[in-house]
Amino acid sequence: MSAVANRKPFDAGRAAYLALNLLLLAFLLVPIAIILVFALNPTPYISFPPVGVSLRWFVKFFEGDDFMRALWLSLWIAACVLVLSIVIGGACALALARGNLPGRAFLTAFFMSPLMLPAILTGLALFQAYLLAGIGRPVWGLIMAHTLVAVPYVLRTTLAVLHNFDRRIEEAAAVLGASPARVFFEVTLPLIRPGVFAGGVFAFIVSFDQFPVSLFLVVPKGETLPVVLFNYMKFDLDGAIAAASMVSILLALAVVVVLERLIGLKAYVKL
Amino acid sequence: MTSASIKLASVTKTFDGKVVAVDDVTLEIGAGEFFSLLGPSGCGKTTSLRMIAGFEHPDAGRIHVGGRDITDLPVHHRDMGMVFQSYALFPHRTVAENVAFGLRMRAVSKPEIERRVAAALAQVALTGFEGRRPSQLSGGQQQRVALARAIVIEPRVLLCDEPLGALDRKLRQQMQFELKELQRRLGVTLVFVTHDQEEALAMSDRIAVMSGGRVEQVGTPTEIYERPRTRFVADFIGEINLLDEGARPRALRPEKIRLVPPAGARLAGTVETANFLGGATLYRVNAGGRTYLAREAHSGERSPRAAGDAVGLAWNDADVVSLES
Amino acid sequence: MISRRRALQAGAGLAAAATFGAPAILHAETRTLKITTWGGKWGAIMKDTILPMFEKEHSCQVSADQAFPFLPKLQASPKNDPLYDVFHSNSNEQWSAVEQGLVMDKITVKEVPNVADVYPWAVSDKIVGVAIFTSAIGLGYRTDKGIAAPKSWKDLADPKLAGARGGYLIPVNSLGQCHLMMLGKVYGKGLQDLDAAYKALEQLKPIKLVDFTGQMEKMLLSGEVIEGVIHDSGVYRYEGANRQPVDFCSPSEGVMALEQVLNVTPGSKVKELAFAYIDFMLRPEVQKLLAEGVWYSPANKKVKLDAKYDAKLLTTPEKVATLIQPDWKWYNARKDDIDARVTKILKG
Repeated sequence: MSAVANRKPFDAGRAAYLALNLLLLAFLLVPIAIILVFALNPTPYISFPPVGVSLRWFVKFFEGDDFMRALWLSLWIAACVLVLSIVIGGACALALARGNLPGRAFLTAFFMSPLMLPAILTGLALFQAYLLAGIGRPVWGLIMAHTLVAVPYVLRTTLAVLHNFDRRIEEAAAVLGASPARVFFEVTLPLIRPGVFAGGVFAFIVSFDQFPVSLFLVVPKGETLPVVLFNYMKFDLDGAIAAASMVSILLALAVVVVLERLIGLKAYVKL
Repeated sequence: MTSASIKLASVTKTFDGKVVAVDDVTLEIGAGEFFSLLGPSGCGKTTSLRMIAGFEHPDAGRIHVGGRDITDLPVHHRDMGMVFQSYALFPHRTVAENVAFGLRMRAVSKPEIERRVAAALAQVALTGFEGRRPSQLSGGQQQRVALARAIVIEPRVLLCDEPLGALDRKLRQQMQFELKELQRRLGVTLVFVTHDQEEALAMSDRIAVMSGGRVEQVGTPTEIYERPRTRFVADFIGEINLLDEGARPRALRPEKIRLVPPAGARLAGTVETANFLGGATLYRVNAGGRTYLAREAHSGERSPRAAGDAVGLAWNDADVVSLES
Repeated sequence: MISRRRALQAGAGLAAAATFGAPAILHAETRTLKITTWGGKWGAIMKDTILPMFEKEHSCQVSADQAFPFLPKLQASPKNDPLYDVFHSNSNEQWSAVEQGLVMDKITVKEVPNVADVYPWAVSDKIVGVAIFTSAIGLGYRTDKGIAAPKSWKDLADPKLAGARGGYLIPVNSLGQCHLMMLGKVYGKGLQDLDAAYKALEQLKPIKLVDFTGQMEKMLLSGEVIEGVIHDSGVYRYEGANRQPVDFCSPSEGVMALEQVLNVTPGSKVKELAFAYIDFMLRPEVQKLLAEGVWYSPANKKVKLDAKYDAKLLTTPEKVATLIQPDWKWYNARKDDIDARVTKILKG
C-alpha cells in the first residue's frame, strides 16, 4: 500500500488573508476597470452592461485641440517639476540630514508643510501673491507652485535613504583620496539616487494629476489637463473624460516603468 | 612600502563644547609599529584615531605624521589607509571597483590599476571575487576587501577602527593572524582601535590603554599585563587580586598565586568554587574573610581540589605590583 | 491680459508724456478684454465664431476663461485690477458678486444700447447686470418608460418614481436651489415658504442627486433617472441625429428662470470695450447664433429664431410670462441655513 498523502487542513486564517488581499486589490483596480469600460463604450453616458466597443472617445480626445494642448502642457510641466523637485528636494534633504542646521526639526516640518495645507489654499494663496506681485500667472509660476507641493515627496524619500546611510562609506572614500566634491558625486549621489528618483516619480505624478493647486493658477488657453477635464465634465459628461483618464493613467504608468528601468527603483528597497 | 611615525602632542577634543572626548593626549607611534588604542567605549580611542585620519579636528594640540604637521591637512590629502568596523564598502561597486577606488583618485593609469588591484586581492586571498558585489560576500570576505582597498594605495599609515568587531570569534582569531601577518609583510605603521584586551595583547607591538579621554599607560603587551601602572589598567586587562586598597594599592595576577597545603602557607582558606577552563582551573578561595582568585595551569593531570577543600595560598613578593591610586 | 506692471508702465508713460509734451503712444498695444464664459457647445461657438467676430470688429483680443471657479478667482484678484472685465455667470453668483462690490449693480441703455430691446425679465429687479439668455427649469422625463408626461411639479412626487427621480445637491447647484423654492410655491404659500419646501423635499425621497446639470442629462439618457429637474436646453439639445427618448415639460405652475447674466467689473481698465462686448452679445444675430446653438431663450425681443426653436423656446410675451425669477438676494442671505437643513433632510 502506498503512503497516504497528508491533506492540508483547511486554514481559515490563510483563506481570510487571501480574501482580504483580493478585496484590497479589487478596491484599487475596479475604478480603473470602470473607467476603461466607460471609455470604450460608444454611448455618451455610463451604461451597464456596455453596448459595444468603440474608440470614438479616444479619437475625440486625441483630436481635441484643447485636450492635446492641455496634455502637452501637463506633461511639460510635470517634467519640469520632476527635475526641479529632484534638485531642490534632494539638496534640502542633504542640508537637513547633514547640514548641522539649527532648528532642523522645524525646517523639516516647514518644508513638509505644503503637504499639510489643503492644496486649494496653496493655489489660492499663490494666485493672490502672484497678482499682488504683478507677475500675472506665467507658466513658470504654475511650475513653481507644483514644485512647492512636489518637493516634500522627494524630501521624504531622500531623507529616508539618508537616515539609513552609513556615513563611514563617505569617510572611506575621503580617506582614499576623494575630495568632498568627488565623495558627493562618486558615493553620496549614487547611493541616495534611488530615494531621490522614487520621490521624483511621485513629484511627476503629483504635478501631472494636480488639480487644486492649478485651479487658480491656469490662464485661458493655458489650462492643464486635469483642469480642462474638470471643466469639460461640467458641460459634456461623455466618454472623452474616461478616455483622457485612461491615457493619463497609462502615461503615469509609463513614466514609472521607464524610471524604474533607467534608475532601478528596486534598488531602493534593498538599500 | 614606506611607513611613517605618528606623533600626537597634547591633543584635546571636545564635543558640543562640553563632552571632553580626548583630554591632552600625547603619543608617539614608531614607523612600522603595530600600535593599539585599547579601552572601554567612550574612552577616546576612536576619537583619537579619527583625528589621525582627519575626520575630526583637534581643539588643541598637533598631530604629526612622518615628521610633518598634518593637523590642518584635509582627509583626502593624508594618504592613509583605513578599515572600519562596518567595512564601509561602496555597495554600488564591485569588489574590483572598490579596491581600485583609491588608485582612481590618484589618477593611476588603467593597466597599473588592474595590476595593483589584482595584487591587493591576492594579498587578502580574494582572487576571483573581482566582479562580485559587497552584498554577495560574507562578513569576513567583506573585511578582506576593505583591507585590500586600504592597502592598495600603499599608505604609510593604516588605521583600523575595531575592524574585527563584527566577526564571530573563530573568524576573528583567524583574521587577527592574517592582519598581523599582513602588517609585518608590508611594514606599514598600523594603529588599531579595540576594546578587546585579548585582541590587543595578541597583536600589538605596543598598546596605549585609555580611559576617560586620557592615556593610562603605554607599553608592550607584557608590560601592560605584568606591570599595570594604574588600578584601571590592572582591572581592565584580565583578572586581578587587589591585596590592599588605599593610597598605594597592590595587585597580584591570579596565576601568580600558588595553591599549597594549608600548613605553612601565607594564608589558609577554603575553596569556594573551582571553574574548569580547559587548560587551567580558576579557583575562588576564601581566606581571612576575603576572596582570592587563583589560576592553576594543568600540567599533566587535573588538579584534585574541589569546593570546600582547605587550601593554602602562596606567592612571591616580586610578583606583587604596586599601583598608582 | 494687462498685468499690473504693464499698467504701471503705462502710467509712467503718461507721466513722461505730460512732462515732455511728447505725443502719447499709449494705444500702441492691442487692448485685451478679459471675460469668463462657459465651455461645452457654448464655448465652441464662442471660440470659433463669436469671439473672433468681436475681436475683428474692435481690434482687440479677448481672453476667455473657461476654467471654474470664476467667482473665487475674481474675489481673490485686486479690485482695482480685476482678473475679469466682463463676468458671465448665472444670476445667483452675480448677487454674491455685487454684494462684495465685484460687479456693477445694473447695466442700462446708457452703457449698452441694445438693453433697450430686451424683455423685462432681463433687467428686472431680480437681475444684477443684464441677462442675455435664460433657460427654463422644469422637468425632463423619459418617453419610453411607461410614465405619463408630467404636467405639474407635483408629478415628480409620484410614488412610481421612487429612486428613479432626479434632483441636485442643493448647496452646490442653482437648479436644485430653484427647485426648492418652487416646492415652496407649489406646496406652500410661495417661493419663500421654506417650511413647506422642506416638507415637500422629504416626500421626494428616495431621489438621485447630482451636482452638475450635465450629470442629470446623462442620468436621463442612461435611464437611471426617469424624471428629473432639468433646464429645457439640457433636453432639447438631443434632437435630430442625437434624438433620444427624452422630453421636457414646462409644468403648469410655471418654470424657473436660469439666466445667463453678463456684468462689468467696476475696476476694469477697458470698461468701454466691456460694455461694447455686452452690447455685441445682445445683438439679434449673435443671440440667434447662440440661442439655436445651445437652446437658450434669447433676452432680445427682436431675435427671430427658426421655427423649430421658436416653437420650444420662450420667444413671445405670453411664453415669457410663465417664467418665474427667483430672488437670489433673499436666497443667498439664508443659504447657509438652507444648506444645513436640506443636507440633513436628504442624508437619510
